[in-house]
Amino acid sequence: MDEAKVGAFPARARADFMHEVANTPRGRGVLLCIQCGRCTNSCPVARTTDEYNPRKLVETVILGLRKEVLLGNLPRYCLSCFTCLDRCPQGGDIGEVMFAIRNLAAKEGNVPEGIIVQAKNLFETGRVVTPTRMALIQRERYGLSKDISIGIDEAQKILKKTSFVELISKKV
Amino acid sequence: MEHKSVLIIGGGIAGIQASLDLANRGFQVYLVEKSPSIGGRMAQLDKTFPTMDCSMCILAPKMIECGHHPNVKLLTYSEVKEVKGSVGNFKVKVLKKPRFVDESKCTGCGICSEKCPIKVPNEFDMNLGMRKTIYMPFLQAVPRVATIDKDNCLLFQKGVCEICQKFCQAGAVDFDQQPEEITLNVGAIIVATGFDMFNPEQIPPFGYKRYKDVITAMELERLLCASGPTGGQLVRPSDGKMPKSIAFIQCVGSRDRREWINNAYCSSICCKYAVKDAVLIKEHDSHAMITIFYIDMRAFGRGFQEFVNRAKAEYGINFTRSNPGEITEDPETKRLTIWFEDNVTRTVKSLTFDLVVLCTALVPRKDSAELAKTLGIETDNYRFFKSPDLISRPVDTTVPGIFACGYCLGPKTGDIPDSVTQASAAAARIAEVLAEVTKQ
Amino acid sequence: MKYAFFIGCLIPARELGYEISVRKIMPLFGVELVDMENVNCCAPFSIQSLDYASWLSLAARNLCIAEEMGLDVLTLCNDCYESLLMTNTLLKENKELREKVNSVLATVDKEFKGKIKVKHFIDVLYDDVGVENVKNAVKTPFHGLRVGVQPGCHLTKPKRLHFGERIGIKALDELVKATGVKSVDFERKEACCGGPMRGINDAVALQVAKQKLDGLKNAGVDCIVTVCPFCYLELDLGQLEIKRHLNVEYNIPVVHFAELLKIAMGMPLEDWEIRSHKIPLAKVLEKMKEAK
Ligand SMILES: Cc1cc2nc3c(=O)[nH]c(=O)nc-3n(C[C@H](O)[C@H](O)[C@H](O)COP(=O)(O)OP(=O)(O)OC[C@H]3O[C@@H](n4cnc5c(N)ncnc54)[C@H](O)[C@@H]3O)c2cc1C
Ligand code: SF4
Ligand code: SF4
Repeated sequence: MDEAKVGAFPARARADFMHEVANTPRGRGVLLCIQCGRCTNSCPVARTTDEYNPRKLVETVILGLRKEVLLGNLPRYCLSCFTCLDRCPQGGDIGEVMFAIRNLAAKEGNVPEGIIVQAKNLFETGRVVTPTRMALIQRERYGLSKDISIGIDEAQKILKKTSFVELISKKV
Repeated sequence: MEHKSVLIIGGGIAGIQASLDLANRGFQVYLVEKSPSIGGRMAQLDKTFPTMDCSMCILAPKMIECGHHPNVKLLTYSEVKEVKGSVGNFKVKVLKKPRFVDESKCTGCGICSEKCPIKVPNEFDMNLGMRKTIYMPFLQAVPRVATIDKDNCLLFQKGVCEICQKFCQAGAVDFDQQPEEITLNVGAIIVATGFDMFNPEQIPPFGYKRYKDVITAMELERLLCASGPTGGQLVRPSDGKMPKSIAFIQCVGSRDRREWINNAYCSSICCKYAVKDAVLIKEHDSHAMITIFYIDMRAFGRGFQEFVNRAKAEYGINFTRSNPGEITEDPETKRLTIWFEDNVTRTVKSLTFDLVVLCTALVPRKDSAELAKTLGIETDNYRFFKSPDLISRPVDTTVPGIFACGYCLGPKTGDIPDSVTQASAAAARIAEVLAEVTKQ
Repeated sequence: MKYAFFIGCLIPARELGYEISVRKIMPLFGVELVDMENVNCCAPFSIQSLDYASWLSLAARNLCIAEEMGLDVLTLCNDCYESLLMTNTLLKENKELREKVNSVLATVDKEFKGKIKVKHFIDVLYDDVGVENVKNAVKTPFHGLRVGVQPGCHLTKPKRLHFGERIGIKALDELVKATGVKSVDFERKEACCGGPMRGINDAVALQVAKQKLDGLKNAGVDCIVTVCPFCYLELDLGQLEIKRHLNVEYNIPVVHFAELLKIAMGMPLEDWEIRSHKIPLAKVLEKMKEAK
């Protein structure tokens, strides 16, 4: 984020980026932020690593540095623990805004490998975690139903109606 | 004939000033105060900005003048129960609660309090000090008359004691005193009921009440005050030792839009009182390490920014722009850790303090909605009283003939000079409106 | 009492002990669990990161199935719980959004009507069964056992979604205490376990878990009690990884609350259940025996 220094950014800054985020579902809160920093000092990640600072990430959005935000992986550092949702005095909901940013990043083709794997699992099997063969044997042995009923067909139909398939295929 | 009687509800600095202005113009003033003494919040403060004068030294003469003024009738320990009529002719019912001491006989000698066996926390000292069950809330109380707090009195609760009565030379203690209803006829009314402090227990991560050394600014005022519970010694509530490092957290409950708090407004005064209190602490102990955690330093008004500059440059007070989210306590040392974002490096750090002061919001009085209903006036969405035209009639309420001044109108500049200005304005409005009504 | 049982993906695949305990305990409290047929993944946070409409539609489809059963949903996993609860709340409150999602659901002949509630297993124990009844069902209270409760984030956060039902983690603490144990406070109790950071930055994930484990160690707990399968994994398996990568050893056993309650109700864990825990349970099981 060094490029964010004054003098370097105006050429790339997009004044409308804050509103693009705000108008994406779950992104409204970005408009309420007063940069007080309470999210940052409450955030378990920011306390652990200097790489991530939710207040600063919002600042970057406000500054309009679209590329830096959407092509980087910082928004993925948020745990969605929602500590900041309860603490932000403005109802800025930064933990929620991260989903808006990630959704926009996904449209740009920026999705971490792990999520692609889960998403593919979901599309193919109806669930993100599939039981191993061993687990299925165990289930039977301990008197649990072996096949857990899954509605794959309907889930697939739904995912074909949304941009899900397109989003995960972009990456592949 | 012009109606020459007025009712003033609330005996803080605003109510006192309005009473004196009107009384000096020849109006008959009824000043109704809920608590046993007039004085309000200003009586609780140590020094006051902007001049750093002793608060009580300015207030006490005004309180005494109010108490002695031939045109002011004090109705303390009283509440307004009913208001009927309209401008020029209000019929008011006031309930005078029994204080179980005859006001006309009590000399204020205080022997009763000395002898009373029951001690309870003193509200005036923010419960940091104790008072007796028969008490005067503070030394300079007006009227200088004792009051029995029935809920804690042995006689009322257990049926035995009467010690105070035995010792009272004036024969003023009267356990049979009954509530008294007083009917007044007044031409106009001023509401000056002031504010309550936001209860920081509503923000659990700050640990107020869980951690002894997390206190509010109003509690700090009492700890700094020479007539306060510690005689002006600043000590940690947990161990009675002098704190070496102190943090102030601003905007506790102010500018907070969370649903369960819903105070979007800036209380307009906390930045100023925090800097004042920080400087006062430095004057007590120049080695104290003080950090003020703030969002924006809103030190507007004449001389305040310069005051902040001096606090930084001359007194060495640290100003850190970060809004902490939680306080944690070391169970053994009781020291308090605050996480914050470093101004310069933009990284998250923690610091440990001996004492943390929460600069809590100023909120409407608990009973403000009820009082508004009694008076028929409107409140804003926070429950502060509303003026129909903030720009050209700022001290009017939504009912003609009823005015308001002081903090019960919500945050303006919110300080004492401002409350006094509004009080004089409300008094002038009354004179104007009553003259008008008579003409018609 | 009857609930539509939404078991999720992770628990039936990897944490059978949690599932079995719940299936054993709940009927004893008069709570009947009816397995939901034909459901799909709840659409957890990882999927929500991709696309808003996909999340809401997938979650709403599950809710429709419960609506058809005419039952409120009971979940075991904090992630399933939050996803379904958020969707249910959003769609009930926002007509426009409901119509949009229903237009997607129409492809599978479903319609979200907003007729049911979503509850966590803990909600049901607290609100429907009641702490008193849980206490009465405990045969062998484990007096003297010190446990650290890991509530996990989404049982209580954000407040506005859970307000009114249970205030903070008090409810969970009361339930845990009903088994006779002492629920001790520790630093960072309400903080995240670090699990969601897996696959993004594992080093940070371990650091977050480590801070939590440090707090638990300082508080001197005999075991950790979880109610979320992700917290469980992060704190149980995570201890092995912390040992490997950071060379710090804690050895604090981790049990699901359902398992703890089951044992307290007089149904000991079977061998395979005990073995499924990465940090050996022997120490804490021994203490439980002593408590009798
Ligand atoms: C910590 C702190 C420090 C401050 N420091 C300073 C400072 O240094 N300088 C400065 O200028 N200002 C300072 N202020 C602000 C100052 O206290 C206020 O501006 C001032 O007290 C407002 O006066 P008031 O008369 O409106 O209200 P109050 O002082 O609140 O008086 C209201 C009175 O009305 C009475 N009352 C309430 N309800 C009723 C009812 N229903 N019926 C009858 N009576 C009722 C109350 O008992 C009280 O006596 C500070 C405030 C705080 C919180
Ligand atoms: S806590 Fe809220 S207002 Fe403060 S910086 Fe974070 S998002 Fe902005
Ligand atoms: S929700 Fe994300 S940004 Fe907010 S405190 Fe948790 S990890 Fe940090």
